[in-house]
Parts: sequence; C-alpha cells; structure tokens
Amino acid sequence: MKEETFLQLPVYIHEKGVESMRRVQSIICASLIVGSFMVNMFGCASKSVQSGGETQASRPETKSGAGQDLPDTSFSGRDSSGGLRGLDKNPSEERLGSGGSLMAKADPGSAGRQIEDIRAEQAAAAAGLRDVFFAFDSFAISEDGRQVLAHDAEWVKANPGAQVKIEGHCDERGTSAYNLVLGEKRAKAARNYLVELGVTPNHLSIVSYGKERPVCKEHAESCYAQNRRAHMLLRTGK
Amino acid sequence: MAFRAVVIISLCLSAGLVWIIESGAADVFLEATRPDFQKIPLGIVGIENIGGAESPEGRIRLGSRIEEVLKADVRRSLVFSLVDLSGIGGKVHHLGKTPDPSFKQAAEQGVSVIVWGKAGMKNEDKDADVNMEGYVYDAGSDEMVGGKRYAGSPSVVRLMAHRFADELVFRYTGEPGIARTKIAYVSEVGPARELFVMDYDGHDPRQVTADGFLNLMPRWSPDRRFLVFTAYRSRNTQDIDMIELATGKRWTLVSLSGLNITPALSPDGNFLAFSSSHEGNSELYRMDTRTKDMQRLTVNAAGDLSPSWSPSGREIAFTSDRSGGPQIFLMSADGSNVRRLTFEGDYNAAPAWSPRGNWIAYVCRSPKKDYKLCLISPDGQKRVQLTTGQGVDDSPSWSPDGRHLVFSSTADGRSQIYMINTDGKDLERITFTGTHNSAPTWSPAS
Repeated sequence: MKEETFLQLPVYIHEKGVESMRRVQSIICASLIVGSFMVNMFGCASKSVQSGGETQASRPETKSGAGQDLPDTSFSGRDSSGGLRGLDKNPSEERLGSGGSLMAKADPGSAGRQIEDIRAEQAAAAAGLRDVFFAFDSFAISEDGRQVLAHDAEWVKANPGAQVKIEGHCDERGTSAYNLVLGEKRAKAARNYLVELGVTPNHLSIVSYGKERPVCKEHAESCYAQNRRAHMLLRTGK
Repeated sequence: MAFRAVVIISLCLSAGLVWIIESGAADVFLEATRPDFQKIPLGIVGIENIGGAESPEGRIRLGSRIEEVLKADVRRSLVFSLVDLSGIGGKVHHLGKTPDPSFKQAAEQGVSVIVWGKAGMKNEDKDADVNMEGYVYDAGSDEMVGGKRYAGSPSVVRLMAHRFADELVFRYTGEPGIARTKIAYVSEVGPARELFVMDYDGHDPRQVTADGFLNLMPRWSPDRRFLVFTAYRSRNTQDIDMIELATGKRWTLVSLSGLNITPALSPDGNFLAFSSSHEGNSELYRMDTRTKDMQRLTVNAAGDLSPSWSPSGREIAFTSDRSGGPQIFLMSADGSNVRRLTFEGDYNAAPAWSPRGNWIAYVCRSPKKDYKLCLISPDGQKRVQLTTGQGVDDSPSWSPDGRHLVFSSTADGRSQIYMINTDGKDLERITFTGTHNSAPTWSPAS
C-alpha cells in the first residue's frame, strides 16, 4: 500500500505530465542521488543524445603559424564575489578608479594598404575585368557568371604578369560568421572556374569579406543582388 | 521492507538519471524566468542630492542620476522587482543611516528591501570628488543591514550605481550581478570596422582597435583581460589576434592561409577553438594556448565554424553545412561524438551555449526568411523562438547570469545592438549612435 502511495505522489502533486513527475521524484530522491549527481552531471549530458555516427580521423598535431610567446590565458575560476566587499553597517569609503582609458593605437600601415586596394580596384576596372554575381544563399556560378569568367580568363592569360585577387561578398541576410564561409565559397567557385579555363592558379588569390564590406547598403533586393559577388582586383606587379 | 527499499532506490536512480539529463533544460524555469518566480520586492526611497550637487554637465543632479542608473540596474537584475514607495512616509533628506519608522509599515505591505542614500560633490570644483552613500533596510530583520560609501572622480558616477546594484544582488543571491559587466562589439568607423567595449547598458563606449580595415567577432577571455578576434590587418589573410584591454598590447594567435574566423577560448582559458580553411574548406581546430599545438576537430567537405564551448569545457556547439544549409551540431571537445542538434528550418547558425549550460541560443531562419533568435536545449527536446518581426538578428551572446542575451539586429534599419530576457521580455536597444554596430559579446562577470 505504501508503495502505491509513493508512486501516485508525483501525479497527485503535479498534473502537467511526465516531466513534472520526474522533477518531483527527483526532488524527493535528491539526497540519495546527490553523490552520483556530482560525478555524472557533465558526463551524462553527452550520453543523452544519440551520436550521429561520425568518426573523426586523428591528425598529427601542428603549429598555428604564430611565432610570439603568448601571455597566459589560463583561468582557474573566479572569486564569486567579483571584487565586491559586501554591505557594512559602518561602511568605510571605497575609492573607485575609472578603469583606465585605453586609446586604440592606429595601424600606421593601414592607409598605404587602403591606397593599394583602391589602385587594384581601378586597375581591374581599367583592364575590363568583371565581377561575378550569385543567387541568394548560393555559390553556384550561373550561365552569366561563366561568360564573365570566360572573358576575365582570356584577359589574365594574355597578361601573364597580372595578379588577380578575388573577393567573395554576401548580402546582409544571414549571420556574419556563416556569410564569411559563404563568401569564401563564392571566391573559390570563381577561382576554380578560372583555373578550369586555363588560368595559372598562382596568378589568383582569394579573400572573403562575408557581409562586412557591402558595396550597397540599402535593405532591398536590388542592393542585395549587387552585394552577392565575386569582386575582381588586379595587381599588375608594378 | 526490502522490496520497498529496492523499489524506491531504483525509482530514485532512474528519476535521478532523467533529472540529471534534463536538468539543463529545466533549470531555466527554476531561474528568474520561471513565470511564478518571486522577485524580491525592492523600493528605492531616493538618492538625495547633497552639496554642490551639480554634475560636470551642470544640469542633472548627481543623486538623481545615480538613482536612475541604480533603478535600471535593479530592474535588469531580474532578482528584484521595483516597488513604488510613494505611499510610504520616509523622506530621503530626513534619513541618515537609521531607517524611517514607516519602513516597517512598508514591510508589512510586502516590501522586502528598502534602499536610500545620498550623493554629491563636496564643492563646486569640477575636479572635486564625487561621494555616494547607500543604505539597505531588510524587512526580515527590520533594520539597516548595511551600506556602502564610494568616492571617485565624476567619471565613475555610473560605476558607483553599478557597484551598489551588484552588492545588492550579491547580498540577496550570492552571485556577483551583471551591472559591472561589459559588452565588446564591432562598430563602423569611416570605411573600417573596429572593436569597441562598452558598459552592459550601452554607456561609455571605448574604441579598442584602430587598424583602419576589418576586425570581426570578438570573444572575451574568461578572466576579462583579453579579447580574441579575427583581424584583416594584411588584407589578404585573416589572422586570429588577441588584445590586452588594459594596455592595447596585441598578439597573433593564428596566422594560417585562408579564412581564420570565429575564435573562442575555453572556459579554463587553456584552449582556443576556431575555424580555419587553410587545409581546403573551413574546419574547426583547437589550439593549446600554452604549447600552441593544434588539433583538427572536424573532418568533412563542408564548412564548420562558430565553436561555442559548454560551460564545463567538455563539449562544443558549432555551425556546419554538412547536411546542406547551416545547422547546429554538438561534439565533445576532442572532436568525437558529433551529432546534429537542430532539425527545424533550413538555416540555423551562430550557436551560443548559456553559462548555466541549459540552453543554446542561435540564429534561426523563419519561413518568411527573417533571421531571428531561437533557444534549444542541448538534448534537442525544447526549442523556442525568442524574437519576432522583420530584420536580421545575429550574434547572440549570453549575460554571465544566464538571464539575458545581447544580439545585433537590423530591425530598426541599420544594425544596432539589443538586449532581451531569456523569456522574450524586456527587449531593449542599447546602441543609438553610429551607422553599424554588430557582433556583441558579453563579458564574464568579474
């Protein structure tokens, strides 16, 4: 009889269903499971969802390519009071500092690189290199795009000193991060097609700007269409 | 008896297991966002203006200014509910450190905490110190339980209110509060996009980088000293850099060919997870910040990006388009045990694991092609859409107390930064200037 009462108890208290029932049971049993909770709290979460069944190849470890010594970023957990000193019936005065006034340091090379970019853009326009445009959410080269790239490929092959930089751009829809990946896919699609047409790969470089450097800033499809592009820049190697 | 014991223990174990698994998903409802959560009723009598109480701007009196900031902090804490004390007899200019007799009457009407204080400058000199005192009456003990006295330059007036608010939250919850937290973000400066840091309420923005080109997607180090971010300093590649906020000193953490984006330091600060396309397409890597050894975590022909660590550091949520459009996946921090988390909709990206572990916020695309914020529990069982309306919402980031999200949205035209509670209430815009503010990321609590 006692057992039955116990089993009914959760239903009696909560009528919302299985989940509330489990929660009530959990509260009743909290003292019994507190030990296993401490041990399992993180481990169980990963077991609760089925695996997608993917296997991960293990790779040899490599270096990141950065050379300098880095400061120690390790963190052992914070003091939960966060530097607060608590209330006091006879509080002593606390002096508050403004927390410094860091002035951002301008990059002296920036202006020079900006001028280089403008020149490379002008050079591409002067050479008649054209941009490739893409459909929403897509990095597929359209029929129009193929014609543009065929024209661009002929020019690059005829000018072996030229270095073409292909910038991948996106419209403002979607996340900043995923659009960087999409922009790179667009730039790569354009580069790969140029290579298929016989352009030497080392005359081509790519970069993605995602949705961070739109040529048009209105919220309209006419504007979005202009931003979904592989944009050509040209360095003539002096 | 024996039978009963076995039944109870086995029931407890299974219920316990279920509870452990579901605890994440359930926690949020035990927190301040639960509909029946009882916020602590708190009344502010006032912060009296004393002395030559003119602010440096010469218009708003300091006490009133501090009171306004304090009220906003108390409201945003979601720990207290602000109650109107206008029916109560106590006048702030009569109060020293002793509570007014009328406070007991307020307590009987259900007010749990009453706060009062004064603030001002000792003289009219512009460089003079600002002083603030604040006191707290607790209905439970029917006395003044404590106070604070602050002094500092006029530039720290808001900080006084923030510190006092955090002391209140700490006194009543044992947690440090969020009023002194910061938000790092990207803002347009001329043709460039640079990193900035502002107070959590949008005040006091400070420029952190001035590269003149693109810096993107900052993330905090767990000790709040550094930001890691994607820097296009050289134009042709994107490095992952780290900057020390106190000094402006800068390091390059990752300098590989291709696209190096979405860095995220582990909760213990020992690993940097990031996405790099240097081996072909975007894959996730994990770098040991001490040895700089790098381990590849994902292996497939699709794009993998936007790692977000679970608070334990054992798991990583990320975006992958391996099944077509971008979706949220989870894996162990060594790259094993990969599984897809989101199945609703054809575009889900930018995951952010909550500091309490119980939710993952992300950007979900609605059937009408609006990009909104969604929440999903790590077991995939619960999913809610948090924001509605037009525009592109992006880059959700959690407050350290797990009660708010900050994000960017184009709902009002240009991209600006907004804050919202995890129950979808109290949507608040926090940036109002500039042509573009995006990629907000909330600092840990100090």
